[in-house]
Amino acid sequence: MRPSMKRWMWHGVYAVVLLALGFGVYLATARVDYDWRWERIPQYLVGTEGEEIRAPFDGFVDVADDGKSIVLNELKGAGSERYAGFDRLLVGDGDLVFQNDVLARKSGLQAGPLAVGLWVTLEISALSLVFALVLGLVAGLGRVAQNPAARHLAATYVEIIRGTPLLVQIFIFYFFIGTVLSLSAFAAGVAALAVFTGAYVAEIVRAGIEAVPRGQMEAARSLGMNYAQAMRHVILPQAFKKILPPLAGQFINLIKDSSLVSVMALTDLTKAGREVVSSTFSPFEVWFTVAAMYLLLTGGLSWLVRRLEKGMAAGA
Amino acid sequence: MLEPLIHLRKVEKRYANGVRALHDVSLDVKRGEVLCIVGPSGSGKSTLLRALNGLESITGGEVVVDGFAVHDHRTNLNALRRRVGMVFQQFNLFPHKTALENVMLAPTTVLDVPAADARARAQALLDKVGLGDRGASYPAQLSGGQQQRVAIARALAMQPDVMLFDEPTSALDPEKVGEVLDVMRQLAREGMTMLVVTHEMGFARAVAHRVIFMDGGEIVYQDAPEGFFGAPRNERLKAFLGQILK
Repeated sequence: MRPSMKRWMWHGVYAVVLLALGFGVYLATARVDYDWRWERIPQYLVGTEGEEIRAPFDGFVDVADDGKSIVLNELKGAGSERYAGFDRLLVGDGDLVFQNDVLARKSGLQAGPLAVGLWVTLEISALSLVFALVLGLVAGLGRVAQNPAARHLAATYVEIIRGTPLLVQIFIFYFFIGTVLSLSAFAAGVAALAVFTGAYVAEIVRAGIEAVPRGQMEAARSLGMNYAQAMRHVILPQAFKKILPPLAGQFINLIKDSSLVSVMALTDLTKAGREVVSSTFSPFEVWFTVAAMYLLLTGGLSWLVRRLEKGMAAGA
Repeated sequence: MLEPLIHLRKVEKRYANGVRALHDVSLDVKRGEVLCIVGPSGSGKSTLLRALNGLESITGGEVVVDGFAVHDHRTNLNALRRRVGMVFQQFNLFPHKTALENVMLAPTTVLDVPAADARARAQALLDKVGLGDRGASYPAQLSGGQQQRVAIARALAMQPDVMLFDEPTSALDPEKVGEVLDVMRQLAREGMTMLVVTHEMGFARAVAHRVIFMDGGEIVYQDAPEGFFGAPRNERLKAFLGQILK
């Protein structure tokens, strides 16, 4: 057999195995009489309900004669608010409405709960990533510092965080630190993830710095640079190049770990998935969709990092 | 000559595990002097050189370089190191910077020299070591001999009073040794104070004003090259030279 044919044969084997797995899933669901209802999923990604206009306070509605605008007059007080440009009116003239009631809807598409959850997950991950990077860099520098206080503090931080489960840390951040500092669930979630990931980043940074040959620091110091200058101009740029792949892996973990913040009152992608399951009773479809959406985030991140690596390799 | 540029008195270096690296080393070096230090490996040559700019701390005695008391922990070693250039066996060029950037880095970061001035001066130094056309090359794109010449230019960019060479040609292919020694010979002619740890006896004989033989952390013998290589009155040195010049 020619080598190229052989290669194609193995690509074929790959496809056959994938198909077999897919068929296995189909058989398994057929066994439990599962009713696939994929058509229920899209509405949770993109809503067609239209954007809602909600009442900011209790009051009486005054609809204009042409029906194209309304005025809401405050019940207790003299405040009033005018609304126009909606497509569907949900209240009548003289209606008494309460705060947060829906007055009208604009037509058009809006993000469904899963898309909103994806956005929250992305927000939490991106913010935690930035803080984790700063925290990890500081702690990593502490790990390799001469100063015993810095070294021991950094080591203690890393040991405590790596020795306890993230879920427990999230509870501590939410119930203890969050309460003491009156943090929102979002802030507590970001803090927990940043502190957790920062410990791993610190170890990656330490390993990266230690992987730069000793002679580099000696050469920099022998030229009269102080420790900070040598770190900034000589050691860290070289270390960063070495740690980019493990750092990317850690940040992909961060995105996946962020699903644990759904235990707090925080509607991230995973929590949104749970909510959609309870209203559709289609757990298989929803969780497959949620998994695909996580894959979209992590895949996007690895693609970005690969491009960055290529760019840095080109810069010698 | 007035004050010696380098003054060592009874220098001791003992590691925590009890190994003695330097013992009772006293030495004066005048401005403009070229000193070669030879000896078997592990004899303390490199340690002595690294003690001069504080890369290695000493456990006893005094080291005064260019007016700085290196043994005193209150001394600002960064200020001293600006005046003392060092060239390493493994070159230790910064691999993420071009040859020109390697030479420019210390003047711009340490002395706040404006980039344009530093660039012009770096280019002049690369010209001087015969690499004026390789400024844009990264270290990995240069041969060992070229890298070591860039390293010399990098050290010279700080306009040092002393240059320390730690086995500068030991990591080079034999055919690349000459180009580095040529640059060093030219420096010596210009009156640079140089301390050179080396196995290049030909260079020591031709360029050095004084040659020092170290063994077991001590200075065993020192003399002008004629006497050193001619008829040394020391058995250990004779044995060493016999080995090396065989």
